[in-house]
Amino acid sequence: MKILFNKLQAISIAILPAFILFLGGCSRVDHKQSALDPKGIVSQNQYDIFMLSVWITIFLFCAVGGCLLYVLWKYRAKSAQEAMEVPPQSHGNSVIEVSLIIASTIILVILAIPTLQGVVLMNRVPDPNDTQTLEKLDLNRSAIDGAITVNVTGKRFFWVFEYPQYGIVTANELIFPTSRAVRINLRTEDVIHSFWLPKLAGKMDLMPGQENFLWFIANQEKILLGKDANGKEVKYSIDDAMPPVFNGKMRERIFAKQKFTDEFEAVGGLFYGQCAEFCGNSHAYMSFRALAQTDEDFNSWVKSFQNAQNPNLQPSAYNSENEYSKGSLVTFSDKSLGESATREFRAITEVAQGEAPNLSKKVWTQANSDDFEQGKKLFSSLQCVQCHAINRTGLGSKGPNLTLFGIRTSLAAGWMRNDKKNLTKWLKNSNEVKFGNLMWNGEGVDDNHPLRNLEDEDQKVKQLVTYLLGLK
Amino acid sequence: MSTESLKYLNPESQTDLKTKVFPRPGQNTTGVINWLTTIDHKKIGVMYGMAALFFLILGGVEALLIRSQLWNHNMDILSNREYNQMFTMHGTTMVFLVIMPLSAAFFNFIMPLQIGARDVAFPRINTLSLWCFIAGGLILNLSWICTGGSPAIGWFGYAPLTDTRFAEVLGDMGPDFWIFSLQILGLASLLASFNFITTIINMRAPGMTMMRLPVFTWMTLIVSFLIILAFPAITIALVELMFDRTYGTNFYDFLEGGKPHLWQHLFWIFGHPEVYILILPAMGIISEIIPVFSRKPLFGYGLIIFSGAIIGFMGFAVWSHHMFTTGMGIVATSAFSILTMLIAIPTGVKIFNWIGTMWGGRIRFDTPMLFALGFITMFMVGGFTGIMHSSVPIDAQHQDSYFVVAHFHYVLIGGALFGLFAGFYFWLPKLTGKILSEKLGKFVFTLMFLGFNLTFFPMHYLGMIGQPRRTHSYNEGHGFETWNQIATVGAFILGVGIAVGVYQFVTAAFNKKLKPAGKNPWDARTLEWTLSSPVKEYNFARTPIIKSRDQAWENNYGDKDKHSEKEPLGDHGVHMPDRSWCPLISGIGLFVFVLGMLFRKTIEVSDNFLATPYEVAIGGCSVFILGIIMWSLEGPGGYHLFPKENEE
Repeated sequence: MKILFNKLQAISIAILPAFILFLGGCSRVDHKQSALDPKGIVSQNQYDIFMLSVWITIFLFCAVGGCLLYVLWKYRAKSAQEAMEVPPQSHGNSVIEVSLIIASTIILVILAIPTLQGVVLMNRVPDPNDTQTLEKLDLNRSAIDGAITVNVTGKRFFWVFEYPQYGIVTANELIFPTSRAVRINLRTEDVIHSFWLPKLAGKMDLMPGQENFLWFIANQEKILLGKDANGKEVKYSIDDAMPPVFNGKMRERIFAKQKFTDEFEAVGGLFYGQCAEFCGNSHAYMSFRALAQTDEDFNSWVKSFQNAQNPNLQPSAYNSENEYSKGSLVTFSDKSLGESATREFRAITEVAQGEAPNLSKKVWTQANSDDFEQGKKLFSSLQCVQCHAINRTGLGSKGPNLTLFGIRTSLAAGWMRNDKKNLTKWLKNSNEVKFGNLMWNGEGVDDNHPLRNLEDEDQKVKQLVTYLLGLK
Repeated sequence: MSTESLKYLNPESQTDLKTKVFPRPGQNTTGVINWLTTIDHKKIGVMYGMAALFFLILGGVEALLIRSQLWNHNMDILSNREYNQMFTMHGTTMVFLVIMPLSAAFFNFIMPLQIGARDVAFPRINTLSLWCFIAGGLILNLSWICTGGSPAIGWFGYAPLTDTRFAEVLGDMGPDFWIFSLQILGLASLLASFNFITTIINMRAPGMTMMRLPVFTWMTLIVSFLIILAFPAITIALVELMFDRTYGTNFYDFLEGGKPHLWQHLFWIFGHPEVYILILPAMGIISEIIPVFSRKPLFGYGLIIFSGAIIGFMGFAVWSHHMFTTGMGIVATSAFSILTMLIAIPTGVKIFNWIGTMWGGRIRFDTPMLFALGFITMFMVGGFTGIMHSSVPIDAQHQDSYFVVAHFHYVLIGGALFGLFAGFYFWLPKLTGKILSEKLGKFVFTLMFLGFNLTFFPMHYLGMIGQPRRTHSYNEGHGFETWNQIATVGAFILGVGIAVGVYQFVTAAFNKKLKPAGKNPWDARTLEWTLSSPVKEYNFARTPIIKSRDQAWENNYGDKDKHSEKEPLGDHGVHMPDRSWCPLISGIGLFVFVLGMLFRKTIEVSDNFLATPYEVAIGGCSVFILGIIMWSLEGPGGYHLFPKENEE
C-alpha cells in the first residue's frame, strides 16, 4: 500500500509542473484564432456561457472529486487484515439518491437559461424596434438598421464574399464596418464547409442545398484594446488597430507590425477564420481573414471596389467623340508589348472632344509599367483568366476573385502573407505550398497547362507578380 | 434426434450421436480446427478479444502517426490525403473494431457465467457473428491496397463528400470498402445482440430473477437492445449511400435534389446510441469491480440499472446535438440542447452511486480498482465537457475543434478503454487460471493514466485557441506548437502503456511464472466466481439455484438460507453440442460476396446494358447459402459428460 501511495505521489509530482506550465500558458489566451478573446456581442455571449459552464464544472469536479478522494482516503484498507474485514453491507439510501438527482437538476437549470437566451441571440438579429433588447445588448438602433449583408459561398478550398447591397464580390478577406451588424448568409457549391470566426461569431455550417445564417457585430472598443509584445494591456488608436484597407494602409501596417510567425496579432482589426468541417484533401488550408473598418473606410473600400468592378468604368479604346477628365484611363494600341497589344494611358489634363487622338500629344502618360502590362497579358494567355475574375464580379468563376488583389493582406485562402516573395513561390509551384490545391490539381489542369510550367520562367512570374500586386 | 434415455456408465466415454447429413467435428477435436469450429462461448470470447486487441494496436499506430504529423506546423510525415485516411481509419477501427468487439468479448465470456448458463442461446450464430466481425475488419483494412487507398471521408462519412462526384482520386474505392465493412460489422453486432437478449431472457438459472442479475449482465441486455434499435438506421443510410455511389441514385446528391441533411440524421440516430453502446459495457464492468474491491454491495443497484436503461432510452432522443451548427433553427436546437442536458442526470447518478458504494467499505487498490477509479475521474472530465457541448452557444465555438477531440477521447479512452482494461485485469484470472502481475499492471496503469492526460488535456486548450479538427497541418503563428508537442509525447507514453498491457494480456495464458488464481482470487461477489479458473467447458456441473443477488459473496459470508443450491444431474449428464464448420463456411461466403460486390466493374451506361460481372459475388452468396443449408441439416450432434458435483 505504501508503495502505491509513493507512486501516487510520484504521479502528482510529475503532473504538477505540467499543470503549472498549463496555467502559465493560459495567462495569454488572445491567440490569433482564439475563442477565449471575444471581440463581438455574439462571441462575447458564447464566451460568457462557456465560462459559466467552466465554473459550474470546476465546482462539480471539486465537489464530486473531493468526495471521492475523501472516501478513498477514509475507507482505504490500511492493512492486509483490514482488507479481509466485512463492512456493513448497505444497499443504498433513497433519500440521498433522490436529493442528489434534484441537486443536479438545479445545476443544469442554471446553465439551461442562458443557453436558451444565447440560442435566440445567435440565430436572430435583434429587432430594431425592440428597444429593451437593444438596451440590454448596449446596441444602437442604427447598427441594426444599417446592417450589411454578406453572402458567403464556400468552395473547395476558398471563400467567396459577395456584398449584394453594393454589387461587389471579393474572396478570402471579409471587410466589415465595426459600427454595423453583419448578416452572413452561408451557401456552398460543393461539399459541406463550416464558417468559423472565433473572435466574432462562433461557427455555422455551409450546407449544400440550404442557406444558413449567422450574424455578428464587432465591438470597436474591444478591438482597440490589445496587448503589446510583453502582454501588457494597451489601448491602440484607430489608425494603429484598424487602418484603412482601401488605400493599402492596412496591408502595410500588418506587414510592418506583425511577423507572420508571431503567436499574437499586433493589429487588432485583423481576425482569423477557418473552415471547420472536413471538406477534402486540403481542408486544413481553407482559412480566411476578416478586417474591421471604420464606417468611413468601409465606404471608401466599397467605393473603390464598385469602381473596379463596374463594367462601364473599365478603360476602353480612345474615342474622339468623348471628352476625358483628368486622370481618365484609355487604351491605345502599343506594338512594343506585342502584336495587336494595347496599353493603358492616363490623361494628365482635361482632354476635349477630338483633342488628342494619338499619343504624340502630351496629354497622355503610361498608366502602368511594362511589367504590369506584360503581366496583364500573361494573365490571359496563361489561362489564369479562365478561373479568376479581375475587375468584374464573375460569381460563377472557379477560383477566387482577384479584384484589387494588391490590397489583400493574405494569399492562398489566408495561408500566407501576400507579398512578392510568397506570390512568386505560389505561382511557380502552388502544389508545393498547398498540396492538393485546385489551382494545380483542379479539373482540366494537367502537366501541359501553362500554369504548371512556370517553375523556370522567372521573367513571366515576375511580370505576373507585378501585375497582381499592382492591382490597387 | 432421439432422446430416449440411455445409460452412460462411463463418464469418460465418447458417445456418438448420429448426425443427419453432414458430419460435425467431434468431442476430441484439437488444434486449429478446434478454434475454427468451436461454438463454445468462452473460446469465441477469447477470439473476439484477441482480434480486437490486434486492431487496438493497429488503430493505435494510426493514432501515433496522426500525432507525429501534428508535432509541429507544416510537417510532412504524412501527405494531407494520407492524414485524412489515417483519421478515418483510426476512428472507424477504434469504434467498430476495438471498443465494440472488446465489449462483445466480455459479453460472450462473462455473461453466460453470470446467469448460470452453459452457453448462449444460439452458439452457432455466436460463431457466425465472430467470423462476420473478422471479415468486416479484413475488408476495411484491405482498402489500403486498392484504388485510392483507404477512405478519406472521416468515420462519420458526411454526404456529399462521399459522393463519387467529389472523389479526389479517380475511381476511389475507399468509401465502398468502408460501406461494406460497416454493413458486415453491423450484421455481426445484430446477430450477437439477438443472441445475448435471448440468452439473458431465457437461460437464467432458476432463482436468477431480473433484479438479481449482475449489473454487467444488465448492461449487456441494454446494449444489445440499443444495437438492434440503432443499427437499422445506419444500415439504411449505408444502403442509400451505396446506391448513390454505384447506381447513381440521388439520396444525398444535392445537385440532383438529394438531401445531405438526411445522411446526418440517419447517421447520428445510429451514432449517438452508439456512444452509449460503447460506454455502457464499461460502466457495467466498473459496477462489478467497485463493490468487489470495497467489499460492499453496489449502492442503489436498482437506480444504477434504471439509469442505465434511461441513458439507453434517451440516447435515441439527443442525436441532433451533433448537428447544432447545421442550421436546424431555434426550436430544434433548443429542444435537443435541453434533452442533452437531461441525459447528464442519469450519468451523474451512476457516479454518485459508485462513490456511495465505496463509502464505508474496505477499499483495496489492486489494478482493476485503479483502472476503475481512473475511469470515474476521466469519465467525469469527459462528462463535464459533454455538458458544455450540450449548450448550443458554447457548441458554436467547440464544434469540430480540438476541444471536442479532447471531450470524446476522455469518454472513450478514459471511459470505455479504461473500463475494458479494468475488466481484463479483473476477469483474466478467471480465463487463464493465473493471477496477473500486480506490479506490471500498476505500471501499465501509471503509464496509461499519465500518457492519456498528457495527450488529451492540452487539447481542450488547443480547441479554445482555435485549432480545428481533421486538419493535417496547421499554420505557424497560432501558438499551437507547444501544446501539440506535449500531446504527442503523451500519446507515445499512452501507446507504450497500452502495448505493455496488451502484451501482458496476450501472454497471460502462457506465462509459467504467474501464480494460480483459484476459484475466487478477489473475494468477488457474482456467480462466475463460484467456478474454477479456468472455467470448465461445461461451465456448471450442476445448474445452480440462485437465492440472492451477490451469490458468490453470500455463499461465503451470508446466512444459510441465502446460499445457492444445485439441481441434481439427470441421467444424460451434461449434453455438450458438437463443433460446427457451418458458421465459418457462411462467414467465408459473406466475405467473398462482399469482395465480389466491391470488385465488379461499374455499370456500362453507354450500352444500356448492365455489363457487370457479378460472378464472384454470386459465387460468394452461394457459398453463404450453402453454409446456411448445411447448418440447418447438420443436426444437433453432441456428446454427454458426467462431471462430479464439485468439478466446476
